[in-house]
Amino acid sequence: MMVFPFVAIVGQEEMKTALVLNVIDPAIGGLLVTGEKGTAKSTAVRALADLLPKRAVVDSCRFSCDPAGRLCSECSERLSEGTLREARRRMRVVELPLGITEDRLVGTLDLEQAIRHGEKRFEPGLLGAANRNFLYVDEVNLLEDHIVDLLLDSAAMGVNTVEREGISFSHPSRFILVGTMNPEEGELRPQLLDRFGLCVQVSALADRDARREILRRKAAFDDDSAAFAERWRADQEELSAAITRAAARLPQVAIPDSALEAIVAVTAAVKLDGHRGDIVIMKAARALAALRERDAVTAADIREAARLALPHRMRRLPFEDLGAEGGRLEGALKELAPCA
Amino acid sequence: MRLSDFIGNDAAKLALLLNAVEPRCGGALLLGGRGSGKSTLARLMPSLLEPGVPFVTIPLHADEEALLGGIELESTLASGRRIVQEGLLARLDGGFALIDDLHLLSPEVRALVLEAQGRGELILEREGLSRRCSARFCIVATATPDEVELPAGLLDRFGLCAVMEGPDDAGRRLEVLRLARDGWFGEAEPDLALAAQIGSARKLLPKVKVPAAIEDRAVLLAQSSHAAGHRAELFLWHACRALAALEGVKEVSEGHLERVAPLVLAHRRRELAEPPDDGHAEQEAGSAGDPDQEQSGKESSEPPPSKGEGNTTEDHQRGLQGDDQRARPQPGRAREEVQEVGRSFAVRRLAFRKDRLKRKATGRRTATKSEGRGGRAVRSTLCPPSRDVALDATLRACAPFQAARGRKDRLLIEIDDFRYRQRERKMGHLVLFIVDGSGSMGARRRMTETKGAVSSLLADCYEKRDKVAMIVFRKDRAETVLPPTSSVVLASRRLAVLPVGGRTPLSAGLLEAHRLIRRVRLKEPRTRILVVLITDGRANQAVGALTPLEEASRAARMIAAEPGCDFLVVDTEGERDLLRVGLARNLAQALGAECHTVESLRAERLTALARERLEERA
Repeated sequence: MMVFPFVAIVGQEEMKTALVLNVIDPAIGGLLVTGEKGTAKSTAVRALADLLPKRAVVDSCRFSCDPAGRLCSECSERLSEGTLREARRRMRVVELPLGITEDRLVGTLDLEQAIRHGEKRFEPGLLGAANRNFLYVDEVNLLEDHIVDLLLDSAAMGVNTVEREGISFSHPSRFILVGTMNPEEGELRPQLLDRFGLCVQVSALADRDARREILRRKAAFDDDSAAFAERWRADQEELSAAITRAAARLPQVAIPDSALEAIVAVTAAVKLDGHRGDIVIMKAARALAALRERDAVTAADIREAARLALPHRMRRLPFEDLGAEGGRLEGALKELAPCA
Repeated sequence: MRLSDFIGNDAAKLALLLNAVEPRCGGALLLGGRGSGKSTLARLMPSLLEPGVPFVTIPLHADEEALLGGIELESTLASGRRIVQEGLLARLDGGFALIDDLHLLSPEVRALVLEAQGRGELILEREGLSRRCSARFCIVATATPDEVELPAGLLDRFGLCAVMEGPDDAGRRLEVLRLARDGWFGEAEPDLALAAQIGSARKLLPKVKVPAAIEDRAVLLAQSSHAAGHRAELFLWHACRALAALEGVKEVSEGHLERVAPLVLAHRRRELAEPPDDGHAEQEAGSAGDPDQEQSGKESSEPPPSKGEGNTTEDHQRGLQGDDQRARPQPGRAREEVQEVGRSFAVRRLAFRKDRLKRKATGRRTATKSEGRGGRAVRSTLCPPSRDVALDATLRACAPFQAARGRKDRLLIEIDDFRYRQRERKMGHLVLFIVDGSGSMGARRRMTETKGAVSSLLADCYEKRDKVAMIVFRKDRAETVLPPTSSVVLASRRLAVLPVGGRTPLSAGLLEAHRLIRRVRLKEPRTRILVVLITDGRANQAVGALTPLEEASRAARMIAAEPGCDFLVVDTEGERDLLRVGLARNLAQALGAECHTVESLRAERLTALARERLEERA
């Protein structure tokens, strides 16, 4: 099935930037997109797949282990046997459907292997497939509680440990969690909310010309999606290249002490709980600087990053709208001094 | 029967025809009372489709396995490999799903259908099965909005929506009756002339031009009806093009757009979508967002969130005609004001009475496993709670021993291998707020205090993930300002704009609650409902001939008799009020409820919290 090209999405710049930042630095920790229906939330996430870069993985590893990072037990064996080979694979968007059952999420006994050979082999679930990839949950607020609990478990540890049906297995499961939801259809559990690195709110565009443009592009895409995609291919490739360049530049982007102080000034002013928010702002600001081809993080990067990283973390009455606290945040951001 | 034999209801027929020409019109929802012919009409849809186009009915009792697919027992046992049994959704690609009585479909099943439809693909990740298949389909559904509320997110998914016409005149009734006598209501029959028209329209469709001016107009219409997102204009675009094609015209005209606009916009207008209210979208209301037809010019300058509050469809069937009910202060009326939300505070825990029925749910207030075969299968267990065998888990349990047991062809399963499904039903609880909005609540900022208390209770509901609903009574009537929803955000928005003023029709509030409880029960018979009544009890407006107080206490006893309900009365008279009459206490007695004052609600929480702390230490 043809996917609507990412670069052809009109407006919604915040959402697009937040997605791109997560590709540049997966450690940012994912994105929650909230907003009313019909505002290209899902379209954008699905379109992202086209832009994802290749990265080094262990050849034929079922969990896309990083040869230079944490290895699954199978890769550890490969390493000791000297059979560990590197390959380059594209990152993927793994979709988690609402109707998923536990065994398909965490993985379970490989049935065929057991019947044929009487051998207990682990069959990975989506948490395995999602390692070092995007894990996308549409309507994340409608996900069943017992599935959310499992997600939270491995999101916290970065490891999926399976002890069931005589199987005992553990593998790395560091995924970039992306969720979309319409808050009018129910709330998201606070524990899960905090797991999303960034959060953006989208709403319908008010500008009439922009809306007409959306209509035209969607109608054109519906009529002939291949031709439409072709028309946007150059732009799409350009963005893809920019992302790759930014990811390569990322380690060299300096984060001066003045930038750290500026971040803390903001989070202290809004009395943010915990340290996760601070860290996410720092990483997002650095990715922004890399994307804009800068050598060091600036106050503007921090300001933009804070707007993405803080709204869902700020203390508020649990049922207040996301965004109700925007005033306080903007107040704190206005005070922000330029970084040296 | 053929579509052309169906009497009247041109709008509904058009909705089906447009979808037959161009499925991108987004499906059709037919709203109407019982016996209004909506199901009969929907079932004629296959006669409009080319042979081979899938048309699959999704029955209300369909469970996840039936929808998504599962393991095919016989061939799996024989082969020792998982063989997939296709689900209903997998058979729909390129076709139409029919859902009769959409409002009765369980929210979980509904979410799965909408998920697959939105994605255009079915992703199966269940019980060891993992596969994807294309699932691009449209939904044709019928619903009776009177019975159960339809959530806005659901309405929005339908490209087109039409309200069935009532049999207003005897002539119409006679005509239909005659058809019934003559046996017209049989199976759908091929309608050759119509099929030919649709066929040539489908061929013409790609050549039909939509002029820029029409596109502009579509965007304008969508915007002025405050439809959420950008889907409305897209459905308008496809629908008017389909109509032009149906008429054999190569260019869309203003007239085409005007004709399809009510079908696309009626159910998306924000006044309707939020709250979904009754869905009595009046077709004509939609000369589609012509600004002049909107209530008044000043309305549109208001920020969107309050839009929904100002005017609901005035066309209620439940006798709510006439003047407006909500936050619009008008000169010449009884004093009316909107007090702000007072400080909220942590409240004492709301408790449901211990449940004696064997039923559990996933809300946070009570435990979870559900009996019988309903609900979602969440995991498998060794102990047999039912005869519901978890096939996949059973296979896995027996698999490693096949060689040892000497398997030849069929799998060898022993009694100890059996695993059973443990199911969960996602029900939670409903907390129904009945709020006194009368003038007496305005005194001494009582409403401000009350709003504070309610928002504290809402916070509690949020933590426990209960559904909430809200009824307000004031002046001469009661109104459900918030149908049951799990969005506490929505509830607190509604709360913020609740006005006070006018008399106290307490019994009307209780009767409206009774109606609401009945409706909820109709759909989810085993839901637990906590009714929180917030009033000073000073009823002074009756519905019937009894005195207001007598009527209120009778209504209270009537609700108290409803099974599965718990009650909590919050007395809004201050404890130190000099003129304290304590009518709310009497009411609580009639309901068999605990009675709290706003103050005690706050204080008790503190003591409860203190006790919890002490227990932790011990």
